[in-house]
Amino acid sequence: MTPLDWTRHPPALTPGYFSSVIRSPRKGLIPLDPTEADLTGPVFGAQDIHHADSDLTRPGISSDALAIGPRILVHGRVLDEAGRGVPDALLEIWQANAGGRYRHARDGYLAPLDPNFSGCGRVLTAEDGSYRVDTIMPGAYPFPNGPNAWRPAHIHFSVFGWAFAQRLVTQMYFEGDPMIRHCPIVATLPSPEAVDALVARYDPEHDRPMDARAFRFDIVLRGRRATPMEA
Amino acid sequence: MTQTPSQTAGPFLHIGMMPETAPLAPSLPPGEQVTLHGTILDAEAAPVTDALIEMWHPQAGWARSATDGQGAWHLTATRPATAPFVNLWIIARGINTPLQTRLYFPDADWQADPAMARIPEARRATLVASKAAAGAYRLDMRLAGEAETVFFDLRGE
Repeated sequence: MTPLDWTRHPPALTPGYFSSVIRSPRKGLIPLDPTEADLTGPVFGAQDIHHADSDLTRPGISSDALAIGPRILVHGRVLDEAGRGVPDALLEIWQANAGGRYRHARDGYLAPLDPNFSGCGRVLTAEDGSYRVDTIMPGAYPFPNGPNAWRPAHIHFSVFGWAFAQRLVTQMYFEGDPMIRHCPIVATLPSPEAVDALVARYDPEHDRPMDARAFRFDIVLRGRRATPMEA
Repeated sequence: MTQTPSQTAGPFLHIGMMPETAPLAPSLPPGEQVTLHGTILDAEAAPVTDALIEMWHPQAGWARSATDGQGAWHLTATRPATAPFVNLWIIARGINTPLQTRLYFPDADWQADPAMARIPEARRATLVASKAAAGAYRLDMRLAGEAETVFFDLRGE
């Protein structure tokens, strides 16, 4: 297993993102070599999710109602660092609605809820690591972090590969969004390249014409290094 | 290829990770059933009420719990046969990259575990649960401050 690459992941303490200040360990992480146990994990499969879980544009499988907002699809591949697709990776996603409001008891933002949008989805990657979800473009929204802070439009991703050491939680942003460079949470990332890796590209070749625009977001997990045979 | 960076799960992780309809089912290897529980506190000893904790069992088991209004979590697990601990993984608003730690069973031979040799002696107790009742183990965690919990970096190679 390759190490966690700290040139890519944000450090615990990032004072510009206020919530990190009282929630960041200060004594340093203790390095450990992964054990065999860290290289295994639960196996999720088709029995755990429903195919309709990857369509956030509808409130349920038996409903014709549609969520409000620009229709998009997000697709890409889950890969390891050697570029191999990770099959059967489980992605859990959640997002705000088109007005920037989450369906959550603790979100009191002024923008209204959409009765046809839960903001929750799941999908398993195919044999080649590819995935696709149908959703709507989430809105930007303000959050408490000094006098005026906004989140760019984003989709949260929770990713299970095949090992504990691969577990990832991240956020996907949208190409061209001017809010990205003003966001204190984006600014926790250690480099412009790390930010860039979280920006999905508009991908017109995969649009569904007269229906939805496509955005491409590939996800790279820690993985075994390429063996000499494969290199 | 380079790793996709982490970002905080934010305060609304329950929408995607603890959905009211069809939450992911835990998977537990065979063994003595135990309850694991505790609280998560921040640097100011305030409860972390929007965290999510996952238990990664050494025998490929898995379960998760969100913290409640008191920062308390609880999980059903089985006692590992191959190690004196289970792995714990914690995310929340304000946690930029997930925190990894372990719960050691006080009635297992945790002192002999190789990871313990890496940890300053005075901090080892932050990982050792107390037996709260028959079959119930409690581990309180502190993200920062006095008695800060030990967190690990699984480096590899």
